[in-house]
Amino acid sequence: MTIHVYQIIMILVAIVMISQGVKNYIRGRSGQTLYKLAIRIVVWGGMGLIAIFPDFSNFLANIVGIKGNINAVILTGFILTFLMIFKLLSAIERLEQQISEVTRDDSLKELKSEK
Amino acid sequence: MGDENAKKIFIAIPAFNEEKVIQDVIKEVRAAGYRNIVIVDDGSSDNTQQKAAEMGVVAIKHKINRGKGAATKTAIEACKLLDADIIVTMDGDGQHDPKDIDNLISPILTEGYEVVLGSRLKNPQGMPGYKIIQNKIGNMLTWFLFGLWVTDSQSGFRAYSRHAAEVINTRGDRYEYDSEVIREIYVYKLKYEEISIKVRYTEYSMGKLHKQSLMNGIITLYKMLWRLIS
Repeated sequence: MTIHVYQIIMILVAIVMISQGVKNYIRGRSGQTLYKLAIRIVVWGGMGLIAIFPDFSNFLANIVGIKGNINAVILTGFILTFLMIFKLLSAIERLEQQISEVTRDDSLKELKSEK
Repeated sequence: MGDENAKKIFIAIPAFNEEKVIQDVIKEVRAAGYRNIVIVDDGSSDNTQQKAAEMGVVAIKHKINRGKGAATKTAIEACKLLDADIIVTMDGDGQHDPKDIDNLISPILTEGYEVVLGSRLKNPQGMPGYKIIQNKIGNMLTWFLFGLWVTDSQSGFRAYSRHAAEVINTRGDRYEYDSEVIREIYVYKLKYEEISIKVRYTEYSMGKLHKQSLMNGIITLYKMLWRLIS
């Protein structure tokens, strides 16, 4: 079996990303939930798996129901990217609201203390 | 009218970089007979808050700009803290005529309405054509997303009873706020009425075109949609 440079790079990146996620989770760093760790393992683990076993994409194509294995990989990637964007936008939205609440509380502090 | 003995009527005005006109707006509100005025400076880079404070009104400031919706909400919260019975919201750029406040609060005082919406489209004389179209699109989207048809879903000139101010809970910080209020009216089955208001499209208010740009409209729509699915 011939191993290409891109496969080695992909495997190394996947190992670094997963190990960082596991380390953050074990150390209980704030915001590192099990859900986030699971997503990290699925995304980077999936990439590593395809890098090691390129034929795995055929298996993925069968599961997704798309004949072309590359198309199946791209589609799966799109879906995962979409999910991540959705999650990010939700987090930004939540943060925006929290900033507004803090700003409001701060501006009303004087009025509240007069009450 | 301006009879504040029976009910405490507060005028809540969000303002962003309005130092040139805010004192005139306050004078006009006072001339219309209303003394309880709350100005929320939404993180202006000019002296809006100082100019308002010089006039002896309650002038509070957001440390950072959070948008018209957030500033309006802060102004309403401030009015509630000051024991307001009726809260009127209006823009700080002088486009709303304080003489309309009497008509705006009358249905709450005499007929038990909870919310009165000032509508520019009931008598759109003098309103630029593109603004009429923008508003109609906004009304359709508000109806489609939130289920209530109103003639001016984007008007900031509104009056609320104390009860309405307590139950209405919006999340929108920017221009989607106005449409979210319509949703809350629908959700809480608040008794509402629309009345015609006069809007003065001055060179100054028209100069603040950033408020009504197409891109802002698209962002507002995106935020309205996002809140439905997120």
